[in-house]
Parts: sequence; C-alpha cells; structure tokens
Amino acid sequence: MTMRRKLEPPFWIGMGLILCFLAWKTKLGAFHNPGPGFVAFFTGLFFVGVGIVMAFSEAFSKTPHDPSLDLRSAFRGISWFRLSYAMALLLLYGFVLNMLGYILTTFLMMWGLFYDWERKNWFPSFLASFITTGVTYLTFEVGLHCQLPRGIFPWW
Amino acid sequence: MNYFQNFIFGLGIAFQPWNLLSCFFGVFIGTLIGVLPGIGPVGTISLLLPLTFGISPVTGIIMLAGIFYGAMYGGSTTSILVNIPGEATSVVTCLDGYQMARQGRAGPALGIAVFGSFIAGTLSVVGLMFLANSLAEFAVKFGPAEYFSLMCLGLSILIYLTQGSILKGLVMAGVGLFLSLIGQDIITGKTRFTFGFIGLVDGIGLVPLVMGLFGISEILLNLERLAERIILKTKIKGLYPSREDWRRSAKPIARGTLLGFFLGILPGAGAVTATFLSYALEKKFSKHPEEFGKGAIEGVAGPESANNAATGASLIPLFSLGIPSNVVAALLLGALMIHGIAPGPLLLTEHPEVFWGTVASMYVGNAMLLVLNLPLIGIWVRVLRVPYKTLFPLILLFCLIGSYSIGNNVFDIFVMLFFGALGYLLRKLNYEPAPLALAYVLGPMVEQSLRQALVLSDGSFRIFLARPISAGCLFITFLLLFSAVFTFLQKKRKIVVAE
Repeated sequence: MTMRRKLEPPFWIGMGLILCFLAWKTKLGAFHNPGPGFVAFFTGLFFVGVGIVMAFSEAFSKTPHDPSLDLRSAFRGISWFRLSYAMALLLLYGFVLNMLGYILTTFLMMWGLFYDWERKNWFPSFLASFITTGVTYLTFEVGLHCQLPRGIFPWW
Repeated sequence: MNYFQNFIFGLGIAFQPWNLLSCFFGVFIGTLIGVLPGIGPVGTISLLLPLTFGISPVTGIIMLAGIFYGAMYGGSTTSILVNIPGEATSVVTCLDGYQMARQGRAGPALGIAVFGSFIAGTLSVVGLMFLANSLAEFAVKFGPAEYFSLMCLGLSILIYLTQGSILKGLVMAGVGLFLSLIGQDIITGKTRFTFGFIGLVDGIGLVPLVMGLFGISEILLNLERLAERIILKTKIKGLYPSREDWRRSAKPIARGTLLGFFLGILPGAGAVTATFLSYALEKKFSKHPEEFGKGAIEGVAGPESANNAATGASLIPLFSLGIPSNVVAALLLGALMIHGIAPGPLLLTEHPEVFWGTVASMYVGNAMLLVLNLPLIGIWVRVLRVPYKTLFPLILLFCLIGSYSIGNNVFDIFVMLFFGALGYLLRKLNYEPAPLALAYVLGPMVEQSLRQALVLSDGSFRIFLARPISAGCLFITFLLLFSAVFTFLQKKRKIVVAE
C-alpha cells in the first residue's frame, strides 16, 4: 500500500469527526424538529463511514499496486515555475485590485501573464495587455455597466 | 392552450428582436467556447450570468441555453481537426473523427457531426416540449420525501458513472453537501460554519466555486505542460456527407438521439455518459466493429447525436421538477432565481413565456448552429490556431471579472482561486469534481426537503419508504451505492464505465 492510500482513510475519518463536532456545536435539534447542524452532523458521520469502508477495502484489496496512482508520478514533470507564477499573479491581483483599481491592476497582471519567458521580449506582451485591458474595460464597465473598482485613481 | 398554440406563443417570444439576438449571441459564444479547449459552458455561463441581471429573464435564459447546446456543436470541431476534445462530451469523437480527418475526410466528419447534432438537438427539443409539460403536471403531487429521494438518486447515478472509485465519488458528494451548508440556515436563519469570514455569511457563491473547480483548475492542468496544438493540415472539402455516409449514419443518429435523450433526463447521468454508451452501442451493432477507431463515420454520428439529445433532455427535470440534472442546469436555475422565478411544476402555469420562449428559441438556435458550423467552419478553424499562451491569460481574466462582478466583491476572487487550487489537487489525486459541484447545487434542496419531511412525519424516517416514488428512488440509490461494497458488482460497473 502506498503512502497516499494509507493516508486517505484516516484523513476522511478525521474530517468527518471534525464536522460532527462543528455540527453538534451548531445545534442538532431533534428528529421531529431538525436544527441547523442536523444535516452537517449526518454528513460528518457519512465521511467517517466512507473512510472506514475505504480503509477496509484498501487493507483487503487484491488489486496489484498501480504506480501511476502514486503521489510522485502524479506530480512528475510539472512546470512548477509556470504554475506557481500564474497562481501568485492571480492572488496578487485579488489583493491589490481594490487599491490600485481595475485598469492598472489588470494591465500589470496581463503583462505578467502574456510575458514570454523563453523569448524575453517585453513589447508584444505590453501591447497585448494594453489592448486587453482597454477592451475589457470598455466592454464590462462602459458597455455592461459592471462596477469595476477605481482604486487610487478615481477618474478612471 | 394546447401544445400547438403554446408553441406558436413561444415562437412569438423567440422571434422578438432582442431574443433573436440573444439566441444568436448564445449559440455563437457556445460554439466558440466549444471549439476552444480549456473553457467550457460551465465557466462561460458563470461568466455571463451577471449580463442577464439587466435583461428580461426569457432573454437571459435563451442566451444561456444557447451557450449550453452551442458548445456541444463546437466541441466536435476540435476533436476532429486537432484530436483534442473541446468539451468532455466530444472525447469519443476524437477516436474516429480524427482518423477520418487524417484520411482526408475531415469534411464529411464535420458535416455528419453537425447534421447529427442538428437532428438530435431538434428532436430532443420536441421531447422537452411534450415531456416537461406532462412531468410538471405529475410532479405537482410530489412532496418533500419524493424530492429528497429523487435528488439522492440523481447524485448516486452521477457517482456510479464517474470514472474511478465510487468511494471517492461519495466523498466528493459529501464535501459538496457540506459546502452548501455554509452560511445562513435556510429555516432558522442562524449563521453556521463561516469560521469568522463575513464573506461566507451568504454562503459560497456558485459562480466562484464552479469557475474555480472547472475553469481555473483546467487552466492549471494545461499550464503543467504547455504543448502546442497541432492542427491537421487538410483541406476541408465535401462538408455535405455522401449518400453512403448518410446510409451508414442514419441508424446511429437515431439510436444516439434516443439514448442521449433518456440518459439526459436522468439527473446526474448526462451528456458525457451518453456519448460513451452510444459509441459502445454502435460498435456492438456494427457489422464491421474492426473499423471503429480507424475512421468509422458511425463513431462520429452516434456520439455527436447523443450529446445534443442529452443537452435538451437535461432541461426537463429543471423546468418540470426544479431539479438541475447537471452543473449547467444549476446555473440556469440560478439565473431564473435571480429574477424571482422558481423553476418547478408551477413554472409552466405561472411563467409560460419563460418555458415556451426558451423551447421555441432552441429550434431557432439549432438552425442557426447549422449555418454557423457548416458554411462558416473556416472561422472556427482559424480560432483554433490561436496559441494557448495567448489564450490562457484571457480566459483567466474573464474568470476574474466574472467572479468579481457577481457581487462586486474581491472575496469571491479568493474563493474562486481557492477552489481552483483545490480542483487541481483533486484531479491530480483522481477525485472527480463533478459530484462535488452537483451535491453543492442540490445541497440546499436536499436539506430543506429532508428537514421538511421529518417535521411532517414527526421525526419518522418511514415517510421515505411509505411513498412509492420515494421508496423506488431510494431502492435504486442503495442498489447503485452498494455496488461499491460487493466486488462482483464493482467489476460489472468497471465494464460499464470502460465501455
């Protein structure tokens, strides 16, 4: 049994127990008058049940070990730089959007996303992000009247 | 009013200039996102949902439905020309469609996909028209026990048909159900499971959740290995299938339509399953099964008809019972509810213009798609040449704007990013996000009907077994889920899923 298959059942059992506790704190009510935590409590019990079945089926499973299901093979050969770079830009976008406003934040993020790290040429990505920001601003703010944040530059 | 009068009434609504324009916009965008791998109808409808706030509900639903069935048409183009499915429903089309293109028969492959889609799409709308009405009349008698059991059945069908472990599917449904409980309690109004986040008081938004799970995670998966798409350099000629092509495709189209329609009605089963089953069925019925996978036109005609038939049929439970059978239907439900319209048995009597207008517009939309996908196929081929490096920042930006503009709230962006990362991890660990999303959508209805049923029965669970429809649904649910425990049934399920 791989580490991942060993960890999954206790993880779901643990999640179920936490959920049962949270539901109990929220008030379960009674069968004839269920409270706000009633369904959540049974969902928690359901997790515990599925976790136990998972543990048993893993313990008594006769199916041969499939290496493609290992954690290492699932994440092998991934361009972590590209993934974390894109996620970091998106997170940053969320953090500064209200402060810097839609136009500036979007322009900077799009420049970062369009930038070609292989060719290291900044002008095409600059132009593309400029056009994208302009077109989306006109479409959503002017055309569709979405209230995009203005940030520190209120005249935008 | 009878069906014919109702239909004429619907046509009158569908042909109003704004509705006609919104139908065209919907099917055009639908085809576009169907052609482009990476952004599906779920993401697009979520993105365009705010657009419907300022227009009439009929116009909005006509547009959103157009995106839904338009995407089914567009998905086949990418499968045939690039061997990458534009949509999950077009995965099977790759097998024979791409082989046909390699043999210089891209034209007939695209042609039969479009004609099959048109025939199946139109027939499924006819079915929708007749069945939704009858089902709605029948569903008036449904109580909370029936609704609860029906939703359990829908979820279990989806879990049963998901690839991979049933146990993982069950866990995902549990997670979805829990997520739907976050926020204010629907009966007492008490806030629960918000963990101190004010943004969670109204619950997790459907749009950020769906966009994250399906849109952002799909982009992250594509970013792992940024490979260039290779479009087959073939001249697309002879789009109109020959007499021999028609002779070979007629029965697969008919079978695909029937199969897709009946699977589409079942909550949870849906268009993807219909395409796989249709392919397996055609291979079984064929006198030359060895040709499948090497460019058999039946392998394109059957599944392409099945996915379009399933699309129309999946609106039946939504309009007649108020139960969305898939995530797209859930978004349509959300769009209707924003306008204060509750889909269900009373929709047809209280808001006939919404139902009949949408049905009639689907006939019009299917005809528009025929034109968009045959004479104008060149446009979509050109769209395919846009490199993914250029495409993914744009898709990300649309996701960001979409989730922000729902409530003008940055918190929704973080929710979307959280579910994007979660969806990516889940997919890497072989957990399917579809049961999570459907359980999330059905969650409030499941909770409400369960609690109402228990109050009605004074706390006795016998209410679910005393009513025949409810008992029947629960019996099938248990039968499906117990197959996870018994090994011999598990083997049978694996064969069904593999086929």
